[in-house]
Amino acid sequence: MLSILLNLIAALFFTGIVIRTKSKASGRKGPGIMQPIRDVYRLFRKGSVYSETTSFIFQLAPTVYFASVVMAMLVVPFGKSPGVLSFYGDFIFFAYVLALGKFFSIISALDTGSSFEGMGASREALYSMFAEPAFFILMGSLALLSGHTSFQGIFASLHIGSQISYALAALATFVLLMIAMIENSRMPIDDPKTHLELTMVHEVMILDNSGFDLGLILTAGYLKFALYGALIVNLFIGVIPYQYAIPAFFAIQFLMAVAIGLIESFMARFRMSHNPQFIVVLTSVSLLIFFGVLLILQKFV
Amino acid sequence: MDILGNAMLLNGTILFTFLAFIFILTMPQKIGFVITFLSILFTSLSSSWLGIQALLYHPIEFSLQFGSFAGEVLLKIDGLSAWFILVINFTVLTGFFYGKGYLKKYEQLGNKITLHWIFFLFFHLSMLFVCMVQNGFAFLVVWEIMSLTSMLLVLFDHENPKTFKAALNYFVQMHIGVTFLTIGFIWVYHATGSFSYDALNTYFQTNRNLWLFLLFFVGFGIKAGFIPFHSWLPHAHPAAPAHISGIMSGVMVKLGIYGILRMITFLQSDFIILGEIVLSLSILSGLYGILNAAVHRDFKRMLAYCTIENIGIIGIGIGIGLMGIGNNSPLMFYLGFGGALLHVLNHSLFKSLLFYSAGSIYQQSHTLNMENLGGLIKSMPKTGALFLIGALAIGGLPPFNGFVSEFLIYNGLIEGIHTSSISQIILYVLVLAGLSIIGGLSVLTFTKAFGTIFLGQPRTTLTHKPQEVSSTMLIPQYLIIAMMLSVAFLPQFYMKIVGSHLSILHSMENDPAILNGIGKTTANISFYFLLLTGIVAATWIVRSLLIKKEHLIFGATWGCGYVAPNNRQQYTGKSFSKPLGKIFNALLIEKKEFEELKKGEIYPKGKSYISHYQDVFEYKLIKPSTDWLVQSANYFSFVQNGRIQSYVLYGIVFILALIILSILNIVS
Repeated sequence: MLSILLNLIAALFFTGIVIRTKSKASGRKGPGIMQPIRDVYRLFRKGSVYSETTSFIFQLAPTVYFASVVMAMLVVPFGKSPGVLSFYGDFIFFAYVLALGKFFSIISALDTGSSFEGMGASREALYSMFAEPAFFILMGSLALLSGHTSFQGIFASLHIGSQISYALAALATFVLLMIAMIENSRMPIDDPKTHLELTMVHEVMILDNSGFDLGLILTAGYLKFALYGALIVNLFIGVIPYQYAIPAFFAIQFLMAVAIGLIESFMARFRMSHNPQFIVVLTSVSLLIFFGVLLILQKFV
Repeated sequence: MDILGNAMLLNGTILFTFLAFIFILTMPQKIGFVITFLSILFTSLSSSWLGIQALLYHPIEFSLQFGSFAGEVLLKIDGLSAWFILVINFTVLTGFFYGKGYLKKYEQLGNKITLHWIFFLFFHLSMLFVCMVQNGFAFLVVWEIMSLTSMLLVLFDHENPKTFKAALNYFVQMHIGVTFLTIGFIWVYHATGSFSYDALNTYFQTNRNLWLFLLFFVGFGIKAGFIPFHSWLPHAHPAAPAHISGIMSGVMVKLGIYGILRMITFLQSDFIILGEIVLSLSILSGLYGILNAAVHRDFKRMLAYCTIENIGIIGIGIGIGLMGIGNNSPLMFYLGFGGALLHVLNHSLFKSLLFYSAGSIYQQSHTLNMENLGGLIKSMPKTGALFLIGALAIGGLPPFNGFVSEFLIYNGLIEGIHTSSISQIILYVLVLAGLSIIGGLSVLTFTKAFGTIFLGQPRTTLTHKPQEVSSTMLIPQYLIIAMMLSVAFLPQFYMKIVGSHLSILHSMENDPAILNGIGKTTANISFYFLLLTGIVAATWIVRSLLIKKEHLIFGATWGCGYVAPNNRQQYTGKSFSKPLGKIFNALLIEKKEFEELKKGEIYPKGKSYISHYQDVFEYKLIKPSTDWLVQSANYFSFVQNGRIQSYVLYGIVFILALIILSILNIVS
């Protein structure tokens, strides 16, 4: 229960901090930190424009997408306190329920009949497919290391003590951060602020959404950021008492938001054709983690 | 009911089928259809009755007389057989009703329809007996009847040379499979002197298990469609009528799995090595199947490749189960085999649903190429929704039944990571990654298929405007969905049934705590599914409350400034999966047929460009070897020269040779 509360608070500020960092880095004053939330609030009250090509899929999809992210949030734990749902293999459920949301966002893009949106949908499907094995190998290695099979069990019994485990934690952070970037369609995979539809991935998929539906999609995006941030936090806090863990949670989420802002300010988007290669590299980093875990457990003889 | 009654019941099904056969042949078509229905109903009900008894109480054993031909054959329905019998009956019944609607416009063809339903009856009966017989020889006979009748069912559209070729291909490959099985049974006969299944048991107790099991695995694997034995599937499924594809892909292919599981019941050793082999082959089948499914444009061929993928997933479950026996880990055993058996049921449901709705699309549009379609959800909303549910379920997405079995298999893998040696751990992690890729790719495959067929605008003008199909075709599909939802929301019930019969496969020490743990997890899944549905519903309600009708505007899709888009400019299925095809171009060979512009061709004429994907195994492995066979057969063509004198000469030479050999006492 605690985790969901913390996630919601983090989600309120996360995107605002990213935007603020970007504007500071480019020498602008930038909007207030709450601006994304105000945008969403405004969108929720607005009317919508629907394409005549679309069917009920287009109207249903944002709802399912949002619900899938909320559902995924329910299984993410916070240190000692488990998520609202915690069970054997909950990280499989986490990945698959997010895939359900992705399925709907892809078909909603195809529902508009626009070739731009089809292109974005194709890329989204491809990139998230490549990101799956990185996540599963990472979670499999952590399960091997900790001897548990649920998010909470894994994170609560991770002990970061030896030098190898520091390296592993750093690598795992990198993998999770990059998966978060892929899932949220940020740099260096996708540039949310580009002006040309041909070069977008996620933004082009939601070109036709407006009003309440767009608000839902944006909210889901904010929640998703906080979600992956929370996973990274969990790598470190383990069984630390709450009075330290809660500030650590916000500090790490803040650092992550700033890091994303800085990455987006100082990096260009990869060439589209290089993206799959980059994402496959994540899988090999996950494999490195896996071999690191085997080292720690002294399985190599 | 006592043993005698059970035997009577089964004798009754055979008798009834043969009577029906005579009646359908002689009576007018209308009555013939009613008799077909009664016969199928009787067969299904009586065998299901026996199956349910076997599932709930105890195995049923009895023998049937097959005359002087095969003598007395022992039949037995244990939990494993019963599970498959029930799966067969459900899919055959839905397929029958769907087929009635699907074949409606062919009804004036008379004889063709009559023959079709006769083959259908025998196909059903032979599948049931495959699950029951306990004798190698009788098994080969019913197995052969099953292959033959299914081939004749595929041949419905026999005027079409493509269908004919596909059916022949299927026929030949099935016989290669039967050869392996026959060698296997003869091997056992040679060693023990008996064809009965007990002989298998004695063989496996006294000899090395690995090679004989692999022989059977290949034989059954050809039916099931493991790579590289899969190449008949992508040809036979698109060629067959939709209800036949649904039944073949939904249940007949699973009888290959049944065969493998039946052989596992006799295994005594070599579990680890066999588990590793099955696991590796299965993950490769899964990946290869779904990769091919992602790029194909013929949507029935896409579904056929997807069957290979799902057979791979079932195989992964079997592999985990075998490893569980080898490592003496009851949890892996239950998760692996339980997941595999549940996936057998699940796949039979959503695959038949997908094939039926694909058949509805074909019936209305007369094309199997998804690039010619688009926007069908407006003219066929029910079929669209059915296809969508099937697509979500087959991708293993919550809240549908595919997730339940995949979840069990995933958990089996993760359990494996904890228990074993390093080589096994590496295998499990790789399979885990592979399975997640399969999940991601099936999202890509089915968003592509659903999006291209049903969403957007129609890409071509079809000669007949597509309409929603008849309710005879829709109701069976609703039934399947009801069944799917029951698996999704009451998985503990199904797991309990499956779990209580897994001891047939191998007697592990039965720890009730393990079964309870699995039961609890599966019970939780249904709760999470409800929760997810609840969140969706709640969001939807809030949305409908907040959105005001008067603030809605309808207009054209945003064309990014371009104001005259046409329907051909929509993103195609081909372009959707092209990046994937490019990345995996070593496995997905794209064959392009076109003529380049020649030098000095000032006024170019109309050109054509065709590209299609080829199956690597078929074109790189199987075709060269069959080509070589045909080539080398040419050298012997002088033997068959068409002159009757030479043929008489061959006869004389043969007889002389026999006489000489017997004089010399070489043959006796």
